[in-house]
Amino acid sequence: MDVLDQLGSMREGKMSRRAFTRSLFASGVAIAAVPMGGRKVLAAPEDQATFFTWGGYDIPELFVPYSEEHGELPNFATFGGSEEALTKMRGGYVVDVSHPCNQALPRWVASDLFQPIDTSRLSNWPDVMPGLVNLPGNDAEGGNVWMAPFDWGQTSITYRTDLFELEGEESWDMLWDERYKGQLGSLASGGDAWWCGAIKAGVDFENIDTPEAFDKIAAVMREQRPLIRTYTDDTTTLEQALASGEMVAAMTWNASATLLKAEGVPVKFAEPKEGALTWVCGVMVHKDAPKLDLAYDVIDSLLSVESGKFMINDYGYGHSNAKSFEQFDSETLASLGLSSNPGEILNAGHFQVPQSQEWETKMNGLFEEIKAGF
Amino acid sequence: MSEQSIHTSVPAELAPPGKVGRLSRLMHRSERARGYGLIAPALTFMLCAILLPFAILVVMSFWTATGFDFDTSFSLENYKQALERPIYAALLERSLWMSGIATVAAVVLCYPMAYFVAFHVHRHKMFWIILMTLPFWTSYLLRVFAWKVVLGYEGVINSFLISVGLIEEPLEVLLYSQSAVIITLAHAWAAFAILPMYVSLEKIDRSLLEAATDLGDGPVMRFLRVTLPLSLPGVISASLLIFIPTTGDYITPALLGGPDGAMIGNLIQKMFGPINNWPMGATLSILLMLCISVICVLFILLTLFVRRRIS
Repeated sequence: MDVLDQLGSMREGKMSRRAFTRSLFASGVAIAAVPMGGRKVLAAPEDQATFFTWGGYDIPELFVPYSEEHGELPNFATFGGSEEALTKMRGGYVVDVSHPCNQALPRWVASDLFQPIDTSRLSNWPDVMPGLVNLPGNDAEGGNVWMAPFDWGQTSITYRTDLFELEGEESWDMLWDERYKGQLGSLASGGDAWWCGAIKAGVDFENIDTPEAFDKIAAVMREQRPLIRTYTDDTTTLEQALASGEMVAAMTWNASATLLKAEGVPVKFAEPKEGALTWVCGVMVHKDAPKLDLAYDVIDSLLSVESGKFMINDYGYGHSNAKSFEQFDSETLASLGLSSNPGEILNAGHFQVPQSQEWETKMNGLFEEIKAGF
Repeated sequence: MSEQSIHTSVPAELAPPGKVGRLSRLMHRSERARGYGLIAPALTFMLCAILLPFAILVVMSFWTATGFDFDTSFSLENYKQALERPIYAALLERSLWMSGIATVAAVVLCYPMAYFVAFHVHRHKMFWIILMTLPFWTSYLLRVFAWKVVLGYEGVINSFLISVGLIEEPLEVLLYSQSAVIITLAHAWAAFAILPMYVSLEKIDRSLLEAATDLGDGPVMRFLRVTLPLSLPGVISASLLIFIPTTGDYITPALLGGPDGAMIGNLIQKMFGPINNWPMGATLSILLMLCISVICVLFILLTLFVRRRIS
């Protein structure tokens, strides 16, 4: 068909319906065909391992050794909470590597969806700090582990030093401050918020699975709810709101405060007097991982010193490789709320304790009701 | 329909006699076989993709969750809970209410547009239709985010009002509220209102309007007695097309609703996600479907009644 002819008829407004559909069809085919042309030049993404992780870990900086070796990044899928991730995988979603935290570890192992990690296949394993490996429920047969620790840190309060008027010491009360009604933010996942509520309510983590604990924590969460502008699992939303002054304080992980500081926003990651919530996260390999060899490369890449430096410097999280800390002096680490001896930080705060599946379901159900206003 | 069936039978007649010939003769002779033949692909798809999952949902709603597993013995426990605990009824009511307002807003705002294109645009109608649906060529998620930018704390509306000097502090009620969700839903689904209403307005026989004028109706009466009743099928289908999917929407309230703007879709999603209570999620889905069906039937009956009264 003659393109000029068609353009002419279109200008005159005489283009027939058939000709119009035909040119639409032609351009559709052309657009669909464009990516096919260049396809073979690139390494195909379906040849790479899939890493199912928290939002924010799907970045090239953590996979420098991996992409050097394989020419491309792994495939990423992200989740907002580890319960959601486990539910998806129980529903039949197969990935190579996923990213739970110590609190979920025993339940993830009990789900029979994962295989032990053969630590002899990881070149960076000798540098991994043993204190992070010896977590409850982490030993598998033959000295192997279920979860290779990767990052650790705190859940605390990031607040605007210029907008939030501190009364006395930094404390969890900051997120329950009536003066800032509608200017406070919170993570939506019960995996963080409920535990912080427990600290605020003064519930010992050892007794968190008792009816009294549920009542006490539910009471403080209900008290907080009218003050909260929004609950979200998307840390970017919290960061943007803090940067614009829409929120003056929010429950976040280390990274939000570090990222905001790097952008010049006057924020501080609080050290609440009651103690922050602390956790260790790591990676587990799926039982039916389709690319097992690449899965080990993903883990090795995460455990590498390069990734560790990025995690500490840019995100402000602790890393599991002892050598990553050699680049930083203790002052820098202290200002990030970190230490080359993770035990110092983890034990100073409230370290999450694994709970039963019934507890998780009950807690999440109750917390959702509270968030909805009941 | 008849035109289509003639087309399909043409190649069969040209085919050599034998098995194919017999089949085509059967197809040719029996109207019923021809009908079933035509709907077979859609019917098979419906069976596999809609009825089967629906059956699973119904069965699952009578189970109960125990930890990670299901207790598969028959139980009405979920339904009992859904009726007893206030959160479910309240969220359901809120969802129906919010999407009801969004539907009315979308239909009322889009009707004049459809009317304009159907009656007052005489050349390049296709161009106008494309122009009106242009915003809907972007992804739904993108449009939701766009509204977040418009309504946000440092968003378009707030910046404008501040620069004009009407307000000093940004309005916080714009975002993270039920109204934000309603505005976004009404806009995001507007294309589904314009197109069916345009089609039914376009189909109206212009001589009826002339006849009404000849018989002494003014423009308002003519609209009420001729145009509106004849375009009601379009209004009904537009309303249903918007109301049904928006009631169960979860991405818009999740992003724009804040604590008070959550809808039943959010809770259902959570049931299948972090709360990990799939049977309860199934129960809520079924209750939602029942509510929507009842409301839709009432709505159709009402419009039929109205149509009979005014025409």
